[in-house]
Amino acid sequence: LRIVSEYKKKSEENGFYDRNAAAKLHERIEKRQQVLAEDVERRKEARQSQSVAEEKSEYFVSSFNAERAGIQELLSDCSGADRPTVTQKLEEATAKMTQLQKFLNDSMIFLSQYQIRVAQGALQKLQASLNETREEALPKKKFTFRSRTKAAEKVSDSPPPPSSETVSSGVTKVEEAAISEQTGFSNISNESLTKTSEEIQSRDVLLTHLTNCKVRLYGSPSTLHLKHITACEVLCGPVATSVFVDHCSNSVLGFACQQLRTHNTTDTQVYLHVTSRAIIEDCRGVSFAPFCWSYPTLDQDFTASGLDQDRNNWSQVDDFNWLAAGTPSPNWTVIPEADRKTTWDP
Amino acid sequence: MGLLTILKKMKQKEREMRLLMLGLDNAGKTTILKKFNGEDVSTISPTLGFNIKTLEHRGFKLNIWDVGGQKSLRSYWRNYFESTDGLVWVVDSADRLRMEDCRQELSALLLEERLAGATLLVFANKQDLPGALTKEAIREVLALDDINTHHWCIIGCSAVTGENLLAGVDWMLDDIAARIFTAE
Repeated sequence: LRIVSEYKKKSEENGFYDRNAAAKLHERIEKRQQVLAEDVERRKEARQSQSVAEEKSEYFVSSFNAERAGIQELLSDCSGADRPTVTQKLEEATAKMTQLQKFLNDSMIFLSQYQIRVAQGALQKLQASLNETREEALPKKKFTFRSRTKAAEKVSDSPPPPSSETVSSGVTKVEEAAISEQTGFSNISNESLTKTSEEIQSRDVLLTHLTNCKVRLYGSPSTLHLKHITACEVLCGPVATSVFVDHCSNSVLGFACQQLRTHNTTDTQVYLHVTSRAIIEDCRGVSFAPFCWSYPTLDQDFTASGLDQDRNNWSQVDDFNWLAAGTPSPNWTVIPEADRKTTWDP
Repeated sequence: MGLLTILKKMKQKEREMRLLMLGLDNAGKTTILKKFNGEDVSTISPTLGFNIKTLEHRGFKLNIWDVGGQKSLRSYWRNYFESTDGLVWVVDSADRLRMEDCRQELSALLLEERLAGATLLVFANKQDLPGALTKEAIREVLALDDINTHHWCIIGCSAVTGENLLAGVDWMLDDIAARIFTAE
């Protein structure tokens, strides 16, 4: 009995002990939970204070929409406005669109797929309406030489006003302006043509569609263009920059220049002074000799052109259709000394 | 993120850009390149082939490719398109006769897939000549306002005097840098 009672006592003690432990455990768990909750709360707060306001999708949506509305307003303002205003507005809208696209790109990190899709769709729609507005307000013009361009007007403002006759005959403003800046001859056959130093000094000289003519250009032009020249003899003083020769045949040419570019030319002799290089392209039967024409004010004109009279690379011709090194191009030759012309004007 | 970031970082480390300079013959491409590099421009010959220059500018290493513009060389232009960051299109502002040619060549270039990401700088060169078209006129003639596939800018310049060359290149650097070196 004593043992039993003792056992009982022990177990009672044990039971008491157990009960005590359970209570303690419960207490601990509760404490722990509280700590955890506090932790979560704290972390939440920390995150909130850390996260920049911009990184909230609501912020994104609201400012995106505000920007979008701004652009739409710009676009709607365009209708009925005059051209410069429209251009300026469209430019502004385009810049804003770019900004908006960048904003979207930068925000992608914290946006949901859905939001990105929606924003991109909106942007696309906006771009489309921007294009539409542009199309409407500033109709796309295919550039033709007939078009009456604003810019060309600006150019032709300085020279004397073009006659209405040329406008109606379909000559463009660009060409008109070109003509006033340029000088030269065109569409002439069987004539002797001359320009004086005053007429060509520092200007662009253009000779086109000449047949069987004798042309003398005394002076130093800025550039010289020869186009569609047949059976002519063309001599020109020192050209400050480049000479262009295109579609010439059976002619004799003589000039001094910095560069010579020859295209689509056949059976033509060139008496040349060139300080850098001459090139030929798509040419055949072109022959070269050193420049030997002279007239009283030639030295003065050389000085005016800035060309070095002592440097002449007339015989170093690059053929762009003959890239093989070592073998000379069959498209050009040097005129043998015996065959060179020495007197030009009787 | 991912691969793109890695690529960007690689580029950033190098800070290198590849610029391709094209345009019709006699536009002044080689003159621009030489002037920019401070070399003599009075003896330049028409480019048969190409010139490459590596320049340091504003902490960037610029690889500038200047390819000849003669008609017979234009078919080779495409060999230089690969990994071009910026396209410099040079226009002879005084060459009114070939503006239409110039427009066609440029618009053909802009359709090139390998130039799709490139920034476009149009140099309206030879503004020092009395007969030069203004950059506004060239902008119109070349229909630049219709370009919406590339970032572009037109700048009037003179390779002979050096006027505005830096302004153009600086614009281009900024535009390219904003695209490939943007801080993540």
